[in-house]
Amino acid sequence: MTAPALDDLIAGAIALEKWPLARLVRLFEDARPEAVPGKAAAIAALEAHGALPRATVAGFTGTPGSGKSTLVGELAARMVARDPAVSVAVLAIDPSSYRSGGSILGDRTRVHFPIGERRLYFRSQPSDRELGGIGRATYPVVRVLERLFDYVFVETVGIGQSEIEVERLADRVYLVLQPLGGDHIQFMKAGIMEVPNAFILNKCDVGAAARRSYHALRASIDFARPGEATPPPIFRTSALSGEGLDDVLADLAAHRTLRDAAGRRERDRYFLEKWVRDEYGRFGLELLERQGGAEALLARAAMFEAAQAAYRPPVAPPG
Amino acid sequence: MSSPNDPGQAPAERLPHRLYDADGNPTKDRPWIFRTYAGHSSAAASNALYRKNLAAGQTGLSVAFDLPTQTGYSSDHPLALPEVGKVGVPINTIDDMHQLFEGIPLAEMNTSMTINATAMWLLALYIGVARERGEDVRKLQGTTQNDIIKEYLARGTYIFPPEASLRLIAEMYEYCLDNLPKWNASNICSYHLQEAGATPVQELAFALANAIGVLDTIRERGVVPANRFPEVVGRISFFVNSGIRFIEEMCKMRAFVELWDEITRDRYGVTDPKLRLFRYGVQVNSLGLTEQQPENNAWRILIEALGVTLSRKARCRALQLPAWNEALSLPRPWDQQWSLRLQQILAYETDLLEYPDIFDGSVVIESKVEELKRQAREEIARIEAMGGIRAAVESGYLKSQLVRSMSERVSKINSGELVIVGVNRWTDGLPSPLLTGEDGGIFKVDEAETRRTLEALAAVKAKRDPARVQAALEALEAAARSGANLMEPSIECALARVTTGEWADTLRRVFGEYRPPTGVEGQRLYVDSDRVAEVRRRAEEFVRRTGHRPRIVVGKPGLDGHSNGAEVIAVAARHCGFDVVYSGIRLTPEEIVQSAVEEAADVVGLSILSGSHLDLTRQVIDGLRAAGAGDSIPVIVGGIIPKDDHEALRALGVRQVFTPADFDLADVMSRIMDVVEEQAGVRAR
Repeated sequence: MTAPALDDLIAGAIALEKWPLARLVRLFEDARPEAVPGKAAAIAALEAHGALPRATVAGFTGTPGSGKSTLVGELAARMVARDPAVSVAVLAIDPSSYRSGGSILGDRTRVHFPIGERRLYFRSQPSDRELGGIGRATYPVVRVLERLFDYVFVETVGIGQSEIEVERLADRVYLVLQPLGGDHIQFMKAGIMEVPNAFILNKCDVGAAARRSYHALRASIDFARPGEATPPPIFRTSALSGEGLDDVLADLAAHRTLRDAAGRRERDRYFLEKWVRDEYGRFGLELLERQGGAEALLARAAMFEAAQAAYRPPVAPPG
Repeated sequence: MSSPNDPGQAPAERLPHRLYDADGNPTKDRPWIFRTYAGHSSAAASNALYRKNLAAGQTGLSVAFDLPTQTGYSSDHPLALPEVGKVGVPINTIDDMHQLFEGIPLAEMNTSMTINATAMWLLALYIGVARERGEDVRKLQGTTQNDIIKEYLARGTYIFPPEASLRLIAEMYEYCLDNLPKWNASNICSYHLQEAGATPVQELAFALANAIGVLDTIRERGVVPANRFPEVVGRISFFVNSGIRFIEEMCKMRAFVELWDEITRDRYGVTDPKLRLFRYGVQVNSLGLTEQQPENNAWRILIEALGVTLSRKARCRALQLPAWNEALSLPRPWDQQWSLRLQQILAYETDLLEYPDIFDGSVVIESKVEELKRQAREEIARIEAMGGIRAAVESGYLKSQLVRSMSERVSKINSGELVIVGVNRWTDGLPSPLLTGEDGGIFKVDEAETRRTLEALAAVKAKRDPARVQAALEALEAAARSGANLMEPSIECALARVTTGEWADTLRRVFGEYRPPTGVEGQRLYVDSDRVAEVRRRAEEFVRRTGHRPRIVVGKPGLDGHSNGAEVIAVAARHCGFDVVYSGIRLTPEEIVQSAVEEAADVVGLSILSGSHLDLTRQVIDGLRAAGAGDSIPVIVGGIIPKDDHEALRALGVRQVFTPADFDLADVMSRIMDVVEEQAGVRAR
């Protein structure tokens, strides 16, 4: 991309015009090594325009059927409707087919979003055959969106062993459950109950079942996380009636903190190593160590993308 | 042997192949009710059509409403405008209803209305007309389709969430029991399930589980006293499909009759056999009607009509036949008359109605029926185990089963395993002289009629009493909130000249709007061919060249809810390596544009069956242009699109047009891939 073209794109994206924004996101979805310089240039241009990281990143995870997509959509729509100054981007991850590589990205069907509202941006993303709750392009795209929006909501594929990635990515993690799902028993076994900052019991329009589930969940958390000074909150919501959504938004606002430099550097380190492992395998990681390791590489480079560019991969990349 | 004209003389013996009346005299059956699904343009135009059809020997009416009426919008709503009068008659107020039935005595007519989410409203208008005319409301006979489950699953004209929708249905049964004793408050539909790909077993199981759901709901509400509950059971009627495998279809009908008898007896304790009868109407299959060599459809319709008339025990009560050219466009009056003549010949020229059931005692038929019953019972048990029909809808189970069956069907057509004459066998034929008339063999809606409808609506709004309107709407809202029966408040709304949109909006405020599961997630397409592999290879090449997977936004703009085509394309595209943003149905063009732009789509696929393709496509293309993406995101369109309109669509900028003739999914995907590659400038071949 030529410099003037990039400048136009960046200016449009900062103004939250949807088409430039969408194209900028596309640039960061490009996982090819040859895309790295373009991404570095875009981040530099964003920062030159004063678009520094400013978003609180909220991760929403939970089983299929918990009504997660509807909930996240309603939360985002409600947030921008209530506060004319706030902006939200939603990144919704759906699974890809192992056979064809294709995917059905159906999260948009859940909610009617306002038309032409620049402060609300929704983007679907395939997991791209990744096993974790997020996709290969999730972190790079979050790095763009967090410079343009006040909040970035990341909705994960579902629940798996790799919820740890969401914890690395997000400033606050919510686990969405449905009444009487019985899921928390399984989650307890898998250690997932230890990850979230807060729990959301959704579909609470179903009444008595929701009350019973609330108490069961409370007991499970106490069991899984004994001795926590402030036990994680449980929010009871109904995306259908809107009940409880304001409480979740208030919780988010109360935790509207930014990562400090060390926290950001640590997050970069984690995702840089992940990128090297995904692209170049174990041998690639060995090379990273020989080049001084992720931390050193990040310290030398000004930013994540520059560190990606500075990394010297194996000569003949597998593939 | 005594003749039927020889009264008073008792017959000496009864012959097994003859029918006898109560007095023992040989007799023949009365024919079923002949109907034609009809309505278009405006109330006045539809009234003229009904009178013509009745004069031609039709014996009942089957009203087709336009999509705004079905989804609770008045004709002047922005979402409604492109659809007014397209697939049925627009009804905004009671004055439209007066016009629709002008010169037709309601108490003497048997009227079937294909209306669901707004069924209560249309029945209220019908009752309102009878009251204002001074006709006896208790004599009203007919059916409101009013089956919300299949709307969620297949047809798409739902408005409210399941609980509220089932409440409306239950209240209509409760109201009709005393006030309109001859009215079928709802019609359990398996018709649309077959259109959506259901197998005979799925049709049986889903429809019967649906009926159980309705009856259980009414019973649990406790409004109808227990001793009168059997009467409610007796009012349940069905609307069934009849496909081309006509022996199996006939067996399916016998299985329906026997299973329903069993369920009503065992589950609901109904002792009166009359109240256990499986009463059903039929529209024969449209899914199997082809755009290629459309004249062949005449034979298909005939054969399918046999499936539901041959077996006396399982014969339909009412029959409506599609027209031979339905896959091309809405039928013309002549096309409908031709279908009516088929019924008349079958009922009056042949000896069909002279015999008792001709399959009794056939071991082949009995074995087939037993197999269907056994499999259906198993599936019903599965649904019950999930918590019943409502839970099976909300979890997406039923929808995913249908999408799978449809994908399998399409796969079999693609592989040639399922033969369809003129489509995948014997495809070369002489051009049909039926298509060379002045009008090209198809029907077009007169746009001037829409203006008349809008003028009529404005006139009613100007002359009605606003205080009465407001009071009626407030009473409706209060009843909706309190849980009181909504029939009388709705009738008062009708008499006060409330509009369709006002009635529905009031209830939307109370009940909310529903978006059911799409069923496309997790589906596989059973097509594996070299050509699919080729498209996948091109998709991978596209990823290498551009850094992203080809991304298609599939959307259905407008109010038409027949989502099968869009769903099959979504599943096929994923199968071929696309990222598919599937946005579901009933979207405004603005919503589709926003999806395409936000998602940076490589192509937008629009699916439109309502006849509004020109308007809707233009709005999408204009919207993309306004967002700055007009030159970047190409648009393709699929649906029932007459040949004449292909050029017009291309002139708008549409890059590919697909019709039902494009059944070969590998070919469809390959053509979509062409568009995507060309746009990205990475043409690989």
